[in-house]
Amino acid sequence: MVVHFLELAGLALRNLRGYLLRSLLTTLGVVFGIASVVTMMALGRGAEDEILREIDKLGITNVILNSVKPPASKSANETRNWVSSYGLTFNDQIQIEETVPGILHALPVHSYTERAWEGSRKEDVLVKGVTPDYFVATKTGIARGRGISADDERERRPVAVVHQQLVRSLGHYGDPLGFTLRVGDQLYEVVGVLEDEEFRGLMRKALSAPARAENEVLVPYSTVLTRIGTRSYTRASGSFQATDIELNQIIVEVEQQGHVVPVAHMLRTLLEKLHEERDYELIVPIELLEQRRRYAAVFNVVLLLIAGISLLVGGIGIANIMLATVTERTREIGIRRAIGAKRHHVMIQFLLETVILSLAGGVLGVALGQAGVAAMEWWTGWEAKFTLDVALWALLVSCGVGILSGLFPAWRASHLDPIQALRYE
Amino acid sequence: MSDSGELLIEARDVHRWYGEGEARVEVLRGVDLLVQRGEYVAIVGASGSGKSTLLSILGCLDRPGQGTYRLGGRDVLSLRDDHISEVRLREIGFVFQSFQLIPQLSTLENVEVPLFYAGVPRRERHARAKAALERVGLGHRLSHRPTQLSGGEQQRSAIARALVHDPPLLLADEPTGNLDSETGKAILALIDEIHAEGRTILLITHDLAVAKHAPRLVTIKDGEIVLDQSTRGI
Repeated sequence: MVVHFLELAGLALRNLRGYLLRSLLTTLGVVFGIASVVTMMALGRGAEDEILREIDKLGITNVILNSVKPPASKSANETRNWVSSYGLTFNDQIQIEETVPGILHALPVHSYTERAWEGSRKEDVLVKGVTPDYFVATKTGIARGRGISADDERERRPVAVVHQQLVRSLGHYGDPLGFTLRVGDQLYEVVGVLEDEEFRGLMRKALSAPARAENEVLVPYSTVLTRIGTRSYTRASGSFQATDIELNQIIVEVEQQGHVVPVAHMLRTLLEKLHEERDYELIVPIELLEQRRRYAAVFNVVLLLIAGISLLVGGIGIANIMLATVTERTREIGIRRAIGAKRHHVMIQFLLETVILSLAGGVLGVALGQAGVAAMEWWTGWEAKFTLDVALWALLVSCGVGILSGLFPAWRASHLDPIQALRYE
Repeated sequence: MSDSGELLIEARDVHRWYGEGEARVEVLRGVDLLVQRGEYVAIVGASGSGKSTLLSILGCLDRPGQGTYRLGGRDVLSLRDDHISEVRLREIGFVFQSFQLIPQLSTLENVEVPLFYAGVPRRERHARAKAALERVGLGHRLSHRPTQLSGGEQQRSAIARALVHDPPLLLADEPTGNLDSETGKAILALIDEIHAEGRTILLITHDLAVAKHAPRLVTIKDGEIVLDQSTRGI
């Protein structure tokens, strides 16, 4: 004896359609539960993607060393003269390159801030003296022209690689290649245009990019050192302050990804010996990645908990209404049983109702979640990523919620005494 | 179906009580009832006499506390719940005093319900239900809801539903109880016709005038059969 499953589903659907408003209200808990989870998952994944991309950009096999101003209380150098001197040194770079095994190279970066100008237009720029390998190590893309070449470096040529935007803001709307860039009292010939990209958060901080990423000027390392030197002056509250930083950054590229952590450990030990103060910082993208993964895991657990609670509440809502429905339809159940419906027919009929109800809630929830994701992206500018697997999981889970919340009401319906059910008014 | 002499219902020493100990109320006290295939039996009794309980037991909706019951030679008391459902589905058609149609379904769909559980394909179900409704004179009321039908029409639909899957036994519990006397007569005439087709009918009523339609009259009082006679002489 085969009762067609599809026909039972049709019957369930009809009963739900008969009370459309009630069905909708019943499943609202599931709708919002699923919607919030879908939205949060999408936002979480978007954030994770962004972080991965940034970390990837920093270079998973890199260890980045930055000069940082030491805490004021410990700056004993003040007594020497009015020049504050701190940060990574040339010696550091040589020591690293020569003593630390497993590294490809330690790239020195010396940078200074200056004002670029053209006529009456001015822009504050960060001039970075970099070696040719810098472009590969930091995955800095060249849109047009070329990067800094070995010849530039050897001959200390006054050439620069810039963002097109900088040349534009200086009032030159023609081809940036060949443009003569005035930075302070220096002239540089633009030989390459950098790819436009968004520097955000972590990435900007780690590469010490200026607030406006497009105001970055890359020039040969040797050119900066011979023309400018290591000392820079800044005007602060009326008086000049001189700082002497030999290297602003050292980018250490490690041969193998597996060696990054031990190399980072060696660098820490080495720098602790070479420096009396903590006037440097060490950024290990692979460690950042691990840290982010741990955060993500915590986030996911919290998310699951919230999802679980909201779906539990939604499920209880469905179960509650289904119990009322079973009571309301006691007579119908009695009639069906008297006519010859088996217990499992009644059970399946009610279970299908809750499953369809919950599944519909799931579908609505996914749709609402999508809308929520779009709204959040528009509103906050966060990056979100909606994936199909999240939607499928959401539907699977709502199906499960339907079954669980329907079990008791359906069991109750199927175990009604037919005689009493028939007499029920 | 009409092989006279073959027993369809064989209930012996049927007891049914509710509650335990002091509160125990005896509803049936050892009822014996044998009905042959093709018979038309009316069971009469006042309210509280136990006739409804007897019908529930004979209709496999209830189990006796003690005694044996064979339907069509099969000991239904030994069956599991699913098999009892199957027996109800295959062997018995019910007609109730309050019609017991499902309000959400149309007349045609109501009549289709037994066929649905019997796994009859949709198209055949429609055809058979339609034929059954035409048989009771409701061919023009297929898509109406039960609430849109008169009492007599509702009871006709219920009879169509009871017969659509062609069960050998029709159990009717006060089928005219909710109807006016004219309509009641028409329903009884319909039941007579069904009997004439060779079906076994067990009709329960408190109304002697209704009971007289049946050739055999069983009177039940305080849970015991007090009289079992042919109505020809009355």
